[in-house]
Amino acid sequence: MRLLRHQGFLRVALSVLLVLSLYLLSAATENSARFGRLYIWLLLLNGVVIVALVGLIVNNIWRLVRSVRRQDTGSRLTLKLMALFVLLAVVPGMVVYTFSMQFLQRGVDSWFDVRIENALDDALALSQAALDQRMRDMQQRLEEAAGELADVSAAMAPVTLGDLRARTGASELALLGENGRIIAASSIDTADILPHRPEEGILLQLRQGRPYVGLDPIENSGLHIRALVPAPGPQGPGSNRVLQGLFQVSPRINDLAAEVETAFSEYRELAYLRGPLKDSFSLTLSLVLLLSLLFAVWSAFYLARRLVAPVSRLAEGTRAMAAGHYGTQLPPGGNDELGSLVHSFNDMSRRVAEVRDAARHNQALVESQRAYLETVLGRLSSGVLALAPDGSLRTYNEAAGAILSVPLAEGVGQPLGALARRYPDFAPFAELVAGHCQGSASEWRAELGLDTAEGRRALMCSGAVLPGRGDSGGDVIVFDDVTALIQAQRDAAWGEVARRLAHEIRNPLTPIQLSAERLQLKVGPHLDDDEAALLARSTDTIIHQVEAMKDMVQAFSEYARPPALQRRPVDLNALVREVTELYRSEGQDPALQLDLAADLPALQADPGRLRQLLNNLLRNALEAAEPEGCTVTIRTARGAGRYADWIELDVQDNGPGFAEAMLSQLFEPYVTSKARGSGLGLAIVKKIVEEHNGTISARNINGGARVSVRLPLMAAQDGQTGNGE
Amino acid sequence: MLLLATAAGAQSGGFEVNALEGRFDAGLLLADARIDYRLSSTAREALENGVPLTIAQDLRLERPRWWWRNARVVAHERRYRLQYHAMSRRYVLTWLATGESRSYRSLDALTARLGRIEGWPVVRQERLNADRRYRLMLSTALEVEALPRLLRTVAYVEAGWQLASNTRRVEVQP
Repeated sequence: MRLLRHQGFLRVALSVLLVLSLYLLSAATENSARFGRLYIWLLLLNGVVIVALVGLIVNNIWRLVRSVRRQDTGSRLTLKLMALFVLLAVVPGMVVYTFSMQFLQRGVDSWFDVRIENALDDALALSQAALDQRMRDMQQRLEEAAGELADVSAAMAPVTLGDLRARTGASELALLGENGRIIAASSIDTADILPHRPEEGILLQLRQGRPYVGLDPIENSGLHIRALVPAPGPQGPGSNRVLQGLFQVSPRINDLAAEVETAFSEYRELAYLRGPLKDSFSLTLSLVLLLSLLFAVWSAFYLARRLVAPVSRLAEGTRAMAAGHYGTQLPPGGNDELGSLVHSFNDMSRRVAEVRDAARHNQALVESQRAYLETVLGRLSSGVLALAPDGSLRTYNEAAGAILSVPLAEGVGQPLGALARRYPDFAPFAELVAGHCQGSASEWRAELGLDTAEGRRALMCSGAVLPGRGDSGGDVIVFDDVTALIQAQRDAAWGEVARRLAHEIRNPLTPIQLSAERLQLKVGPHLDDDEAALLARSTDTIIHQVEAMKDMVQAFSEYARPPALQRRPVDLNALVREVTELYRSEGQDPALQLDLAADLPALQADPGRLRQLLNNLLRNALEAAEPEGCTVTIRTARGAGRYADWIELDVQDNGPGFAEAMLSQLFEPYVTSKARGSGLGLAIVKKIVEEHNGTISARNINGGARVSVRLPLMAAQDGQTGNGE
Repeated sequence: MLLLATAAGAQSGGFEVNALEGRFDAGLLLADARIDYRLSSTAREALENGVPLTIAQDLRLERPRWWWRNARVVAHERRYRLQYHAMSRRYVLTWLATGESRSYRSLDALTARLGRIEGWPVVRQERLNADRRYRLMLSTALEVEALPRLLRTVAYVEAGWQLASNTRRVEVQP
């Protein structure tokens, strides 16, 4: 823009200079007196300007061609405008030029008239004819005088010449000797000492014996007739003497002849100057036209470029917008329509940029809300699944994967059924969800028991149709693992039962036992042997059964009110080895396989309770296992993933496994498949695990039962007191 | 003491100073020269159509200086007017300084007379330093500025009007 302004200034300066130069040029053509000397410089200056303009134009054309080849923005429009401007400038210019040249040629020619020219020629010829007659007279007079000089010696010549001059009426008489040497002379003008000598050519003619007569315009004294005739001396015809006479034409004839001469000369000169006049006017005109045209062409480039510049900028701006550079601002244009177009473009660009920024802001907001929601969902203990309208898994939270014990990440974007095929445990859940989602109800609730890798779980599921259509719709399923809750309720109920049983049953047991013993003691001696034996057997049975009931009540009591935990660091592996050694030394021969993880960290636990836990588990496993080839595997390991701070203990047998119906109530009292036992073994195990804030699960794997226990390395603060009553 | 320049000068236009000679006579430095005036056909045609021509002869004496421009001792100019007198069919040569004129039957006779310079007084000998060498220079040219104004514009650009001689230089020593 600055360059354009700069160029504009240059252009104005150059045009002023050009106009001035053209004015001076035409002034010089019109009036040489004032600018004549400048003419050549003006021509030179204009020539330089022409060369400069041609150079500028060639440079512009080159630039234009190059930009058209490069397909620059606006170059083709510039080319078109250029062509238009040049056409508009050149065609009228050439028309005016052609007509001007014709007018010039014809106008100048029309000043001259052939008849006038002929008349002047005739006037001159007439004058010359009139004078010719007079010249012949003079020559004759001079020849007569020369005859009289034939006997006159050089010494006498001046006197005779004076006499002869008076008689012939000559203004000057001169007798010339060899080589034009003056012998004697007589002049009417006494001040003029030296006679007017003839030129060599005339003397040469005289020497050949031919007389000469002619007109001679003598400065200040008008037209004269000069006649030269041979004048033989006393030595005879051989002597080369010449008599010269100058005769003044009469003043009247002199004036007339001078006027004819002047008029003829001036007309002749004018007619001759007609050519140069036309040439100089044509030159000036051509120069003016050439300069104007070149200037117009050069200006056409400037104007075209200036007109196209905002359009090019707009095109570039549009291209930038299309390329995603929103907010592109163009330099403001003028006050015309193009200027307002540029203004509108800038306005539009700014608004687009604002909208884009707002969209970005909203996106960021949505992202942050989404992150917020994800965090909230991640911290939820409930599992959440979002399904797309086509039933495929869209998103889920961490708790969902943990509750379902299925790597949900693998199933994103797929229907739940696909995941269920890979993980059969997951199938009941997938079927439940599919069944409800296909239904028409917008909300549903259901309970589901699910076997997972972590054991059987009771899930409380609820689903709802998400608002929105198409992609944004779908279903959301929220489910909670209520296993622990149900278990806790049952545990509480059982604890209450045990406590009451212990309380209600223990009280009558002692009177019953005492009564039976007293009966035997008091009644027995009074009976005969048979009866006494019967009594003894019966009372023994009562006493034994009461003892058994007491033991049972004691067990219930212990279940209901466990002793306070004595926590200290325990090496679980050592404990396992110690307990298993006990079983080996009992004389039985169970195949106890130990798979103990090395460098297992110490556990903060009550070793006595842990030993009881191990005992119960082992006994349970050995009792359930096949009598023949009984194999129990005990495995300890450090947990992985989110169970990194936990220790895992698995006890697996190769028995028939748990009955399917028992699985959900396995850890409740009096749930047993065995003929013997209190039915409290696994219930106590679970109690011990819970006292240590651990988890326990049981499932059938590889044709056997497996009980898995997880214990935290660091006991929770609230775990210190135990959760016994 | 005479120095004669005989070297043929290069042709410049139609005029050429063929010879230039400086001689001392009666306490005066006099210049003799021969100039060949050959008018171009353009100039001859203009002359015959009544256009007067003016020819200037420029004679200068300079003292050469190796360290600066030559010092000008003296400069003379003679201007002549050539004219065709239609009535008498003669060519008239007028010495413009004095108004003195002579007429000739032919242009060649006129230019021969014009080109014969004899005893043009240059400077008094006493003004010259006898130990120094001087340079005498002669040039002649047709004066375009003296032409009629209509002709002048064309004359500036037309080669036929660019009639000027070389400058003939000759060394003289008092």
